[in-house]
Amino acid sequence: MSVILISIIGSAILLDKYAFGEFGISQPIVSGTIIGALFGDIHTGIFLGAIFQLIFLGGLPIGRNIPPDGQAAGVIGCGSYFLLGAANSSEHSLFLATIFALLGAIIGGVLDIYTRQYNEKLNHMFMRKEHSLYLCHLSGLVTAFMRTLCVFLPFFILSSIITIPAGFPQMNREILMIIGISIGLANAIYLFIRKTTIIYMVLGGLCGLALLVL
Amino acid sequence: MRLGFTRFIKILFSSFFIQTSWSFFSMQGMGFLFTLVSGAEKNQRDKIRKTHKGFFNTHPYMSSYIIGATIRAYDEGKSSPDEIKRFITITQTSFASAGDILFWQTLRPALLLVATILSIKLGIIGPIIFIVVYNIFHLYHRIKGIKDGYNIGWDVIYLLKSKRFTTVQHIFEILGAFFSGLLFSLAALKINYLLLIPLTLLFTVLLIKRFWSVLIIITVILLLIIMVMV
Repeated sequence: MSVILISIIGSAILLDKYAFGEFGISQPIVSGTIIGALFGDIHTGIFLGAIFQLIFLGGLPIGRNIPPDGQAAGVIGCGSYFLLGAANSSEHSLFLATIFALLGAIIGGVLDIYTRQYNEKLNHMFMRKEHSLYLCHLSGLVTAFMRTLCVFLPFFILSSIITIPAGFPQMNREILMIIGISIGLANAIYLFIRKTTIIYMVLGGLCGLALLVL
Repeated sequence: MRLGFTRFIKILFSSFFIQTSWSFFSMQGMGFLFTLVSGAEKNQRDKIRKTHKGFFNTHPYMSSYIIGATIRAYDEGKSSPDEIKRFITITQTSFASAGDILFWQTLRPALLLVATILSIKLGIIGPIIFIVVYNIFHLYHRIKGIKDGYNIGWDVIYLLKSKRFTTVQHIFEILGAFFSGLLFSLAALKINYLLLIPLTLLFTVLLIKRFWSVLIIITVILLLIIMVMV
């Protein structure tokens, strides 16, 4: 899959978050599945999507709060892993793709602020020309698309040209799972555990044990 | 008074774009106006464009309730633009708060947690279940919001006390807590619990202390490097 094509598809997926509908397609678990399917390895896509989903489970876009871009992290993490995997070992690729994803989340959050500032210009343009409402408003689709394209392209270009030296740190899936699940659990505890719900967590834990025993 | 099918579809479709031009200046202001103008009668569009140029911000799914009620107010023609603006100002914060708690803080993370556990165990079923169930609730509020907003008018704000908000939130809080426990016991026994438990505690403390986002990501990167090196 070409770098340009995966960047365009990733940016189109992320329009769901920024510009159209919020149907949940941009959530890492879904975008990871789509990217995995595009690269012909849906199971790895689902696994990576699930882990990035757990890491960014608690990013709440409430009011003016702009959390790190977990959705961009999902696309960057999965896309980079597959692109890196063409010329590198899976352990090397997994480590670098995870670092790329986490950096992409921070850069995505920063660019989000710039995009919203740019959208102010569209708003001022509309204030001057009232009848350009549709044009000014729907131009937001272009700014949202360009924002994500600017985040994705450098990471994907790098991933497609890098050959990782043998001495570079490697990471296996178990380490990523430990980190992902521990952050996911922390997010879940923060979001759901109250005095009134703690009993259900204990119940869930017991059901998990029963499932493992059976 | 009835909202025709064509107008309903126009409002529904344009409401999907409410966040397209989100800016710090007017937040969803242009998106809200875009939806109102798309759904209003032709003779009212200029008036609406002039009246609602400013700030608007609420939860994107909940905007449907306010849009429906506002379009009804214009169709009736009994209220002055100032009265309509006052209604919008009052309702947008109430619906924003309800929507944020219901969707962003409860329903979506709970469903994502369920989907993640299912996807680790059963593969593609996880994401499919998430998309289907999440959008049932999402589209329910979008569709019912427009209809109820239009039918009930300015009393639409009393719907915030209805079961579609309170009961659903309570159910998903329980579901989230249950699946947190399930994930913990499944993960702790399958992978290294000696690492999982202290790391979970570390990240929980970071979250409770409100060390959000960037700091947590930096911590993760450092931890990854340390763990990989060791």
